[in-house]
Amino acid sequence: MLTATSSDPISSTFAALADPTRRAILSRLSLGEASVTEIAEPFEMSLPAVSKHLKVLERAGLIARGREAQWRPCRLQAGPLKDADEWLERYRRHWEESFDRLDDYLQELQQKERKYGQEKSLRKEDENGRKK
Amino acid sequence: MAERSNAPASTEEALIIERIFDAPRELVWKAWSEPERMMRWQGPKGFTAPVCKIDFRVGGKYLFAMRSPDFNEGKSIWSTGVYREIVPFERIVCTDSFADEDGNVVPASHYGMTRDFPLEMITTVTFEEIDGKTKMTLHHQGLPLGEMKDGANVGWNESFDKLAEYLATA
Repeated sequence: MLTATSSDPISSTFAALADPTRRAILSRLSLGEASVTEIAEPFEMSLPAVSKHLKVLERAGLIARGREAQWRPCRLQAGPLKDADEWLERYRRHWEESFDRLDDYLQELQQKERKYGQEKSLRKEDENGRKK
Repeated sequence: MAERSNAPASTEEALIIERIFDAPRELVWKAWSEPERMMRWQGPKGFTAPVCKIDFRVGGKYLFAMRSPDFNEGKSIWSTGVYREIVPFERIVCTDSFADEDGNVVPASHYGMTRDFPLEMITTVTFEEIDGKTKMTLHHQGLPLGEMKDGANVGWNESFDKLAEYLATA
């Protein structure tokens, strides 16, 4: 699975986002860079457990870790998030626009049906009228 | 029925769209299951559907072409899939992949798309009758699960609300 996700950036973005802790970490980092200790603070979780999550985020390219400082601050990288959003947006647009058309089509069908139904009943009245 | 559609969103669900159509359920169902009707609406604005073949039974395939003068040099984009579940007037589950015109599955790069799309997605459509109208819900899902399986049961919507919030400030 790991090889599959690394070969497919969108999938690895979604996989990385599919965890509440990782989403919380990203939210925290959207406020600014932070150290592992700072990131771990709000969670009832060991530092190694937090590090594991950070590795997933790093592999997905969602965060970068500084090499310069001893505490290796983490910061958010928005690129993959934007790609994931665009990808979703494309599908959403596809369906929303299709459904607009479906809506029109269904109206059209029902109008025809109503018209046809009316004609039919008019014809019937006609026939009945002639019979009399 | 209502209970099923209210099931909590799982982490696999990438996209959920709900619509209410002012039409009887049978008619909306037909629009999904009969090729000549499907061709009338499938595809975004500006697209036409020159070909639509549907073998509407579980295990049956569909092959669908859509075309826009502004896309892929005006050439058709084909998609295909297999029906996995059909519950008349209630539910359709099928796979969804890009294809060539012979119906062979191809990666998105075949159409020059820069970003990798999964080879296969899963589309689930449910139909529900409410006061003579039809509520239709579409789930577009099937992203590779990977680490999602141990993820909590939180819907995608929540992730993307957060994402949207973030993107707005980025």
